[in-house]
Amino acid sequence: MAFLDNSGDIILDAVLTDLGRQKMAAGTFKIAKYAFGDDEIDYGLYNKNHPSGAAYYDLEILQTPSFEAFVYSGAGINYGLASFTNTNLLYLPSLKQNEKIKTAVLMTNSLYYLGVNQETVTALQSGLGNKQKVLENNNTAGYAIVVESGLDTTDLVGDASNRSSYIVANNLLDSTYSVFFDNRFLANVLSPTAQSVFKNTSTGADATNLILSTTTATSRATGMDNYSVSSARGVNDLVYYVTNGTGVATSVSAIAGPRGSATAASFKVVTGLDASTTGTTDAKYTRYGKTGQDLGFSDGYTYDYIDTTVLIVGATTNATYMATVRITRRAS
Amino acid sequence: MPVINYETLNTNTDLTTTRTLLHESIPLTGAIISGTYGTEGSEENIKNYTHGMFQSVYDYPYLSSSANHIFDITMGYHASSPFSGSSSTQNAKKINLYNEFAQVLLGYTASTNTVEIFESDLNFGDNNSQMKSCYFLSFARLLTKDQVKKGTFAITLNTGSWVVDNVGQPTWPAGPNTIYTDASASEIAGTNNKGNAGEYGVLYRNNGDGTYGDGSAVGVGVVFYQAGIVVLSSSIFDGRTTGGTTYPLNTFYRKHSNGFLQGVSGAFTGSTISASCDALRHRIANISYNNTTELNSTIYFCRAPANKFNYSYNPTYTTGSKMVVKTIASDTPVAYITTIGLYNSSNELMAIAKLSEPLKKDPTNELTLRVRLDY
Repeated sequence: MAFLDNSGDIILDAVLTDLGRQKMAAGTFKIAKYAFGDDEIDYGLYNKNHPSGAAYYDLEILQTPSFEAFVYSGAGINYGLASFTNTNLLYLPSLKQNEKIKTAVLMTNSLYYLGVNQETVTALQSGLGNKQKVLENNNTAGYAIVVESGLDTTDLVGDASNRSSYIVANNLLDSTYSVFFDNRFLANVLSPTAQSVFKNTSTGADATNLILSTTTATSRATGMDNYSVSSARGVNDLVYYVTNGTGVATSVSAIAGPRGSATAASFKVVTGLDASTTGTTDAKYTRYGKTGQDLGFSDGYTYDYIDTTVLIVGATTNATYMATVRITRRAS
Repeated sequence: MPVINYETLNTNTDLTTTRTLLHESIPLTGAIISGTYGTEGSEENIKNYTHGMFQSVYDYPYLSSSANHIFDITMGYHASSPFSGSSSTQNAKKINLYNEFAQVLLGYTASTNTVEIFESDLNFGDNNSQMKSCYFLSFARLLTKDQVKKGTFAITLNTGSWVVDNVGQPTWPAGPNTIYTDASASEIAGTNNKGNAGEYGVLYRNNGDGTYGDGSAVGVGVVFYQAGIVVLSSSIFDGRTTGGTTYPLNTFYRKHSNGFLQGVSGAFTGSTISASCDALRHRIANISYNNTTELNSTIYFCRAPANKFNYSYNPTYTTGSKMVVKTIASDTPVAYITTIGLYNSSNELMAIAKLSEPLKKDPTNELTLRVRLDY
């Protein structure tokens, strides 16, 4: 798409998306809501130290050229503008993966391996050289992707007081998360129960206990083809700055400052993808992934796999964590 | 990526519909219609069909994918026309074509259920000024769009006889070039909505002095605005009487292969439809009209109140969870709008609008962005 002419008056270039045209053809076109986006903006260009003063802080941003509108409905607004009533916020929570607690799965080469059956899990654990690098299909006692929401800054001490004043009091606590997943490959999300805890001891030791249970997808529209969404509980993240002993909070938490909540996600794959080596290879592996691949483990096995994207989004803050999950089946 | 911060549209206050008429000027020069793309009889932008019932005029050699269809020409006469007769060339097809245009554009008489006859006046039904032998110009939807704008159609025709040169070969027909126009028609007067295909206006001769026609209400053809069809009476080429003197048009048609010449009545009876269409095309000096496109628009008022949309989920908005647009907490938050997404109730993106430059949004201002979708 070309840029819009920004030399004169402000132009608003509006188009129906491919999906909009499809709905119009089907007679179901109706607009009910709107949102604002700023995907082109690089806020890093905001120069608060411009020598000419405040009027010039956003000079570079205001000169950002805009593209013509994309008609692909998936390329609309990726992040969007946010509404918080408190205009005195200085920090906004972000989501970070936690690989520090004992039940957190570890990422391998920017993705998470999910073994679809026991023989695959065993092979992956051996091939990757670490049991903690493998998610197990539909195993509530297995490892999980752990994500924390909080203020990842060293400006603020991660204690209970700052958690209360910077997060809870500003309504920035993600008490639930939305987990978006591709329902062609994943059937259910395993997420924390109410009995889960996420904290450290007074000496800084890991005292987390994330207990997973199976959740079913909600009926909420996702706006994405083939995606469903499950609601995952946000466990209060009570990992605090350690005042007693030599331990540090960041040995348990991935967040440097005040923490809000944490959640975890593991998955159950759809029936068929979990066939053993003696079973039939599901056609989805051929269509959407790869089959008979040597994953470089030097284990003599071949694998089928599908890479799929999972989004974990804080329900209150809309902070987003995007994970790539490699659904893996031992093929031979 | 799902957007979460939606604002619901209030259909009572945030939505309105409008209707706008857009007009484009369509000039068609005679050189395109005859002469530019080949010599007479082998013009590459003129498509003739094996059925021989009409010919199509393109703006470029029609075998090229760049060619656009401009209009079709055909002719015909009513069964009661003096031209009708078993000895006339393509007699049945000419009658059928006349009837086809008449039944589609005018319909049938209520009493006898027979096809109406074109009239070159607005008092349709009095059976005066009937046009029983006509040329039909059917303009393509590509140019006409929703309709021809009333009062803008003009066609310049050469109404003189062919001139024979010194070696006995007929050359370009001599003048005068005469303009026929519907200038007396407008959105509020000068049209008749008889028939099935919308309104028509009458084509009168432009006398060049601000007057039209011969002072009577009788014209020489009609324009069906919504259908984009012009009906021209063959009587245009019967000759012209000016100041009590009649100037007959003896040589309306020239057969290009051997210089054969004949009058318009001869062309209607003794020539094929395509040959007769050739004859008319070579007399068209100019055609011009304005088309009309009716835009039905829905305008969505997308409001960003003072207390909303002042922050951003954009990943560059924070560094280490700290907003890059603030130094201290009391600094005014600011965000920049570049895009407006319109969603249905299932959060599916139905339409998207992009601003040509970012709009600053902070708690000190409110923005209302009008997003117009045209249908």
